[in-house]
Amino acid sequence: MNDLVAIDIADLHKRYSGGVDALRGLTLRVPTGSIFGFLGKNGAGKTTTIKVLLGMARPTSGDVRVFGLRAADPDASVSIRLRTGFVSEDQDLYDAMTVQDLIRFTAGFYPRWRADLEARYLRSFDLPPGRKVKTLSRGTRTKLALLLALCRSADLLVLDEPMSGLDPAVREEVLQSLVRHVADEGATVFLSSHQLADIDQIADHVAIIDRGHALVCGSLDDLRDRYRRIQIVFDADAPALSFRTPGVIRTHRQGRVLTVLASGAADAVAAEARAADAVSVDIMPLTLKEIFLESVNTSMNAEN
Amino acid sequence: MVWYKSWLDTRWRFLIGFAILLVLACGVIVNYSLSASLLPGLANQPVDTSTTAGRVLGELIRIEQTYRGFVWGQWWRQNLLQDATLLAVILGSGGVISNSKGGLFTLSLPASRHEWVATRAATGLGEFFILAMVPSLAIPLLSPLIGQHYSITDVLAHGLCIFVSAAVFYSLAFLLSTVFHDIWRPLLIAIAVACVVGYGEMIFQIDGLFRVMAGRHYFESGSLPWIGLTSSAAVSVALLYGAAMNVARKDF
Repeated sequence: MNDLVAIDIADLHKRYSGGVDALRGLTLRVPTGSIFGFLGKNGAGKTTTIKVLLGMARPTSGDVRVFGLRAADPDASVSIRLRTGFVSEDQDLYDAMTVQDLIRFTAGFYPRWRADLEARYLRSFDLPPGRKVKTLSRGTRTKLALLLALCRSADLLVLDEPMSGLDPAVREEVLQSLVRHVADEGATVFLSSHQLADIDQIADHVAIIDRGHALVCGSLDDLRDRYRRIQIVFDADAPALSFRTPGVIRTHRQGRVLTVLASGAADAVAAEARAADAVSVDIMPLTLKEIFLESVNTSMNAEN
Repeated sequence: MVWYKSWLDTRWRFLIGFAILLVLACGVIVNYSLSASLLPGLANQPVDTSTTAGRVLGELIRIEQTYRGFVWGQWWRQNLLQDATLLAVILGSGGVISNSKGGLFTLSLPASRHEWVATRAATGLGEFFILAMVPSLAIPLLSPLIGQHYSITDVLAHGLCIFVSAAVFYSLAFLLSTVFHDIWRPLLIAIAVACVVGYGEMIFQIDGLFRVMAGRHYFESGSLPWIGLTSSAAVSVALLYGAAMNVARKDF
């Protein structure tokens, strides 16, 4: 563990009472200063991971460290939370307080609270200080939750589906504020979402998890470089080729076309295909959405 | 800030309880002024003491022939005993860190679970201590208005008995609130337990929790029931410790 890694999760398992395995050997590293997209379907284990990070749930086994501190240790967890801003999926806040009261209340926990940022975000988010939190719209609650997370000078922002249920205008406003804040103030962002477009727009690193373990983890640019779809056309029905090149994730035959999904070594796969008398071989990059869907579908097929 | 949150969570229950008890304490003075002339006559009425109800009534009439006895019978043994039990349960219920609204926000703040639990427990107990002591001070303060005297020492001694004993039900409700996510089950279960204990002690004539709470020993002998108070405090501490352990190991 070093200063280059903000979050280090190794072989994390979480079994809830009742026998539900929410996490099954999750391993991932979040580089310091990155905007890390944490992708997965509903029920993949994203929220449980965040709860373990923040000490809200205890790991069954495995090691979770944030800033080098063990998240499962109650005292270390307080130190972690002192340096972490959190926005929950349902913007879980104190409904009975006014916006101003909640800001004052939250500021009281953080010695490094930034009054200048508070004033700026109150203005730019157009938050009504005197209004009760329970009367705020979903979008305004999200902005308030974001203000509370951003003004505490957090080294890490943990955002659990913050954009869910927001209209496109508010979503864009929140995303831009987040990016601007990170650019100005510098912080690691751990952004859980199943909104691939949001992650694609702002993240530089991603992990895709399914059924409690990571399928893919790395820099977004590396993933885009690594994953390729290779479309191979034959002059007769496509043969059931068995590729020797490592990194072939999935093959699909339809008529004369054999489609290969490969993680790395696409050129070697193409060379093998040409050696098998392919008429044409096209190598195409994958979008994040395609990488996500292919990873999850492959995982599902493997499990079934 | 943790204290402030605990105060926000409990303040209306405390303030409403305080107002109700204050009104009821003043009511004791009013009741005495209205019924003082009738009490000597009641002492001469024959009462069938072969039944539990008759025995209680006969004892009540005998005790209430004095002003100190009237206050004990009406206030410490009846009104405040019942109301304090109910208020203790109400103050103890409601969740320390609940799974309901705001729970995750609370847990995301840089304070330990032990700090939240200890602060919430201390806030509720502090409020309950005030409820057990302060409204009752209206009795010695207002007694001169009806030509009577009531000792502040009696208020403090009885208040201590009420506080320490009823704190058992506060702690029970507090523990149950760490088990259940809603406010109603801890409230109803703790009230049911209080009813069972209270009626059980009355029917089987057991010198138990409610006898300590009523301060009978102090009323009759002038000395505090230390064994009962210590036992009650020990039970409360055990229940609160259980609540803290339950919150510490819980997943949210």
